[in-house]
Amino acid sequence: MAPAVPAVEARGLFRRFGAVQALAGLTFQVERGELYGLIGPDGAGKTTAIRAVAGLLDPDQGEARVLGLDPLRDPAVRERLGLMPQQYSLYRDLTVAENLQFFARLSALPRPVFRERAERLLGITRLAPFTARRADQLSGGMYKKLALACALLHQPEVLLLDEPTNGVDPVSRRELWALLHEFVEGGMAVVISTPYMDEAERCHRVGLVHHGRLLLEGAPERLLAAARVEGLPRPTFEELFIREIEGAAA
Amino acid sequence: MTWPALRRSLIRVGAMAAKETIHVRRDPRTLALALAMPVVMLVLFGYGVSTDVDHLRLAVADQDDSQASRALVRAFQGSGEFLVVTHRAPEQAEALFRAGDAAAALVVPRGYASDLAQGRRTTVQLLVDGADAMIANQLLAKADAIVRAESRRLAGLEALRQELPLRLRLWTLYNPAGRSALYMVPGISAFLLAITAVMLTALAIAGEWERGSMEQLFASPVGRLEIVLGKLLPYLALGLLELQLVVAFGAVAFDLPMLGSLPLLFLVGLLFLVGMLGQGLLISVLAKNQLVATQAGTLSAMLPAIILSGMIFPIENMPLPLQLLSRLIPSRYLVHSLRGILLKGNGLAVLWPDLLALAAFAAVIVTLATARFKRRVA
Repeated sequence: MAPAVPAVEARGLFRRFGAVQALAGLTFQVERGELYGLIGPDGAGKTTAIRAVAGLLDPDQGEARVLGLDPLRDPAVRERLGLMPQQYSLYRDLTVAENLQFFARLSALPRPVFRERAERLLGITRLAPFTARRADQLSGGMYKKLALACALLHQPEVLLLDEPTNGVDPVSRRELWALLHEFVEGGMAVVISTPYMDEAERCHRVGLVHHGRLLLEGAPERLLAAARVEGLPRPTFEELFIREIEGAAA
Repeated sequence: MTWPALRRSLIRVGAMAAKETIHVRRDPRTLALALAMPVVMLVLFGYGVSTDVDHLRLAVADQDDSQASRALVRAFQGSGEFLVVTHRAPEQAEALFRAGDAAAALVVPRGYASDLAQGRRTTVQLLVDGADAMIANQLLAKADAIVRAESRRLAGLEALRQELPLRLRLWTLYNPAGRSALYMVPGISAFLLAITAVMLTALAIAGEWERGSMEQLFASPVGRLEIVLGKLLPYLALGLLELQLVVAFGAVAFDLPMLGSLPLLFLVGLLFLVGMLGQGLLISVLAKNQLVATQAGTLSAMLPAIILSGMIFPIENMPLPLQLLSRLIPSRYLVHSLRGILLKGNGLAVLWPDLLALAAFAAVIVTLATARFKRRVA
């Protein structure tokens, strides 16, 4: 049997925008059933990394693979990939139901399949009572949950989420994470970017991104354990991260 | 392409078109732009931009002040084309023109009546304000006709015996009254269709960028051509509705005839609209925000449609380079075929080159737009 290809693979990605080196040799791998966090401050290159994996921009150097396929050239990738962009990307003048229906039809889902999945997604996101509400009338958290539902309708094998918890209240945040864990247990590979250090511990593995490359990578508890200094309390992720960035600068 | 793949593709195009229709329905501005603006513009242009001139303001310097000279002035007034506004000395004509109080001054010399009575040839003078060439031209033609009629009347029966050997009998077909509205309305429809079609698509695609939804679309299985087609179809329908509205309004308000075939009219409109929508698409692919797209769309649609289409300025009068340039402007072919269909009842036998040109433009521009429409967000 051929060795299983990783769900997501970024190999030495470089990308420059004018004077800004957004990606500087970013490399990471995500397996099926794994929840991988790209953690880093604003401007670290997280969005560029996710767009490169989704095939939405050409890297200057390096390559990305999704399920072993080239996302820039192989349209089959898009049938198996779900993306939730950071910026508002749904149609604000369409209702919850209309947005769901639109994205379902882009994936050409048969009607009964769509009904069943939409019902399930509306149930777990608790958006069912709001199907007739326009997207611009939703709260930040509800909007993100709708965007997530739209990205999940075609049951992607790989899900990319760009700062999904940004601007979301703590309760909705916890719900969102619980949802993600549920999908990952079903075998989905999830890449999530976030500037919130406390969210790192909810991932199976994290990569600390700074200036377009990884400073540190591993399972959160192992990173923290390794960083622990004898006689001192275990550091928080934030402390660990700041120490790493300062170390990189020095 | 296999049938299931084609079916999925059609579903996606349908999804885009349905979504776009919802946008239009929920945004009254788009509907207003597409349906109300044409009617308003048609009224403004149809009534306002009229090249028919009557009630021309005429100053009279009657230095003879005889029965005969007053008869001549009456002849000028009686036609309804001139309106005597003042009696002044000829030296004052310039001041009158300068102030815009008169467009022409008629000078009847002293001795007019006696010259006529003695059978001598006599001359009256017409001073014309040439600042507006369009008015001046019409004015000269009208004055010439009036004076000719008056001399024929004065010559009386004797003239009939000395009939000139050559005479021109004019017979104007298709627009016998020479009404400019009939000539203008087809031109205006082309201009209106061009502007709204380019604007609608330019806004539709640029809006997708501005909304941030383009990223989501690009990550979904929908193809570029599917996005383009899904965007075009609803606006194509809207454009055809607009064409219908403009022609119907022209018929009611300006007695615009409809001598040719309606299906042919729609075929021409359809080809033209696809080209214009493609132009809007190309603009919005290049300019990713609505403001720039609006500006570029208006300019690129409006200027050629007004200046180079033959709507107002006859193409035959243009310098050769502009004549050649006008061949690249779809409005030119639409104006020509609309006039042909509406006023002359022309059919495919005459209009096929126009259709061919419109189809070629549409094919080239949609291909170009789709090729430039890159599936990249940065």
